[in-house]
Amino acid sequence: MLTLLRRRAVSSVVPLLVVVLGVFFLARLTGDPANLYLPLSATPEMRAEFAARNGLDDPLITQFGDYLAQVAHLDFGESLRTAQPAGEAVLRAFPATLQLAGWTMLLAIVGAVVIGALAAYRPNSATDRIASFLSSTAASVPDFWIAIMGVLVFAVTLGWLPTSGTSGAAAWVLPVATLFIRPFGVLVQVVRGAMVSALSAPYVKVARGKGASELRVVFGHALRNAAAPALTVAGDLAVGLVNGAVVVETIFGWPGIGKLMIDSVLQRDFAVLQAAVLLTALAIFALNILVDLCHALLDPRVRQRAAA
Amino acid sequence: MTGLRTTRSRPIVASLAALLAVSGCSVAGADPIGGGPGTLRIVLPEEPPTLEPCDASLTATGRVTRSNITEALTEREPSTGRLEPALATKWTRNSATSWTFTLRRGVTFHDGKPFTAAAAAFSVKRATDSKIDCNVDGYIFADSELTATPVDDTTLRVTTAKPDPILPLRLSFVEIVPTSTDPDSRVREPVGTGPYRIDDWNQGRHLRLKRFPGYWGKAPEFAAATYVWRAEGSVRAAMVTNNEADVAIGLAPEDGAGDRAVEFATNEVSYLRMDATKPPLDDIRIRQAVNYAIDREGLVTAVFAGRPTGQLVSKGVTGYNPGIKPWPYDPDRARRLVAEARADGVRTGTTLTLIGRNGIYPKAAEAMEVVQDGLIKAGLKVRIKMLDVNAWLEYLLRPFPAGDTGPTLLQAQHGNQAGDAAFTMGQIYGSEGAQSSYGTDALDTLIEEAQLASGGKRQKAFADAFSHQNDEVVRDAVMANMTGLLALSPKVRYRPDSATNDEMRLADMRRAD
Repeated sequence: MLTLLRRRAVSSVVPLLVVVLGVFFLARLTGDPANLYLPLSATPEMRAEFAARNGLDDPLITQFGDYLAQVAHLDFGESLRTAQPAGEAVLRAFPATLQLAGWTMLLAIVGAVVIGALAAYRPNSATDRIASFLSSTAASVPDFWIAIMGVLVFAVTLGWLPTSGTSGAAAWVLPVATLFIRPFGVLVQVVRGAMVSALSAPYVKVARGKGASELRVVFGHALRNAAAPALTVAGDLAVGLVNGAVVVETIFGWPGIGKLMIDSVLQRDFAVLQAAVLLTALAIFALNILVDLCHALLDPRVRQRAAA
Repeated sequence: MTGLRTTRSRPIVASLAALLAVSGCSVAGADPIGGGPGTLRIVLPEEPPTLEPCDASLTATGRVTRSNITEALTEREPSTGRLEPALATKWTRNSATSWTFTLRRGVTFHDGKPFTAAAAAFSVKRATDSKIDCNVDGYIFADSELTATPVDDTTLRVTTAKPDPILPLRLSFVEIVPTSTDPDSRVREPVGTGPYRIDDWNQGRHLRLKRFPGYWGKAPEFAAATYVWRAEGSVRAAMVTNNEADVAIGLAPEDGAGDRAVEFATNEVSYLRMDATKPPLDDIRIRQAVNYAIDREGLVTAVFAGRPTGQLVSKGVTGYNPGIKPWPYDPDRARRLVAEARADGVRTGTTLTLIGRNGIYPKAAEAMEVVQDGLIKAGLKVRIKMLDVNAWLEYLLRPFPAGDTGPTLLQAQHGNQAGDAAFTMGQIYGSEGAQSSYGTDALDTLIEEAQLASGGKRQKAFADAFSHQNDEVVRDAVMANMTGLLALSPKVRYRPDSATNDEMRLADMRRAD
């Protein structure tokens, strides 16, 4: 198990470096931040001074070298916009996104397991058809539309929920519901598919023959075997949530990493953008390793391969 | 086996549990936007990056800071254009380059220290002559140099290197801070003399201001104000209709504020800048044709909200020329002008690129389609290129992108919040202006003369320069004076004015009951 962990950690270094390099150079291709931070009437001297003060007048490769050296000392630079340390801004925003993603995935997994198992229990029954239709619809509705419709229906028309913000439990409902729909839809389909084949496998028949209760057959025996593919997909979906809560965070004013990233792209706040992407990449690698570990726990063959 | 699984999976389960357990602690319940009936709840499009007073000419910062937390020596009344006393009670011009300001007595800063000429001199120096790169410095003072010296506690002398007839107006942009403010770096949370002081700023969530009991002027009606920010216009509008906020700003007509919406004239003017250095736009007839070909009335009734206008500054700004009318919509005349130019050998078949900016105002792309349609009907070839703000800025500001971009028309908008045409003319119409693609010597001379004039002469000189631009140069197609939209809850009475987008005075907001 430790071997697996070590191997994954080592193999993550190169992609991580590529991400750091990519975001550094791509951000600088978006143009000169002086245009945004200096008044439109700024003189060329003011622009030169701005570039010099923010280290933007050195050759790109020198800037990159300086940046790597800084990062090695856990210094992520200063935000152009707020003049505060970029690392602090990112660490402040990250928990908000993690909490949102955590609740969403928990609800999506629990919901998908129940609905997917019910649908798979009697394939082609009315329950199955309704679940399949609803889940494929859910998997394909755009976040943006759901968020705005949610605000219009539940906040403005019915007045049940706040439109946005983070105060109180009610404020969680719309953002979580918006983020929940797609992973839930996808996972129901995956769980259903995996359960249909698991339920027709010989060991299920053996279990039934031994007189195990249906509940135990479905959730005890079949689900354990169906869990591996669902876990892989759930991992990918969770990565998407950590990375892609941009729309939901922007609409609901959720102070998370997605909103921070989009703001820093718009404001050419390079230091914050780089720090945010780096931390998100780290989180995604950690999540992938976590998924692999869970896989190994569920499937002895994976463990054996890792140990070999 | 089972034992192994339990042991190994414990960290994962534990971390998941920990993650969920901390939920609801740090995010939920952290930012009550309410705070009782004495609190005004305002929703902005974006969080102020900083409340640094010397960045108050940046909209996001200024609309929270100016006249609420900090104040200046003078303030411009947006409806009349007159300069009124603020922390200075009067000012006199001693010579072409020297001014004396008499300061208000009995004013204290939020930290209890008295306001004196030393603080005023310090604030001017900090904003205009320091390494902290104040936005105000570039925007208002550009290359002018000034020295502020305290004469006694209530007298301040300001001298300029060159004669500057509008110095008191420029100083209305210098927010006054105590001498204890860091002169070498920007501050996020300033101390000022304004009617409100900062109570709590929970970054990313909300900003709360509290009434300052020691304020020298009339106490404002609301005891506190809470600002939150939501990027989506429809959400901001919904917050007012849903009684989550009392004031929502920066709305578009389609955001759905309904009968809570209040329309107001802003000083933003939308226009198209023509690159008159390239054929066929180097021929004045083509530039006139572009102006005749645009249906301005149609644009403001069907596409965006506003009022057709013919010049870049709005009423109330020194230099506004009431004689300049919007160009009439005359497609036949446009066609004739193009045909005439073609007959004289002008290359009217060259494709013009209409460079637009997404979101510059509501329905920006649709507006460009209407313009394109008009120009095609006039006999010109036009394609549209919509850009995001960063890419668009490359075309707005010198140096312009290298390489042959062909003849371009740039979708732009200008808001003169300072109230004097000096802040418009040089940079937009001067041959060397930062936003200028073309100018003439004659126009440069008119602008330079106007900048040195004062009083009635200044008004006339700038008005003449606008007139000359409109008749002889025709560098752009000015379209409309834009309209702003905000939403108010039934609890609040407030009359927005042309400065509202940049300065929202909480003291002007009153209870409706």
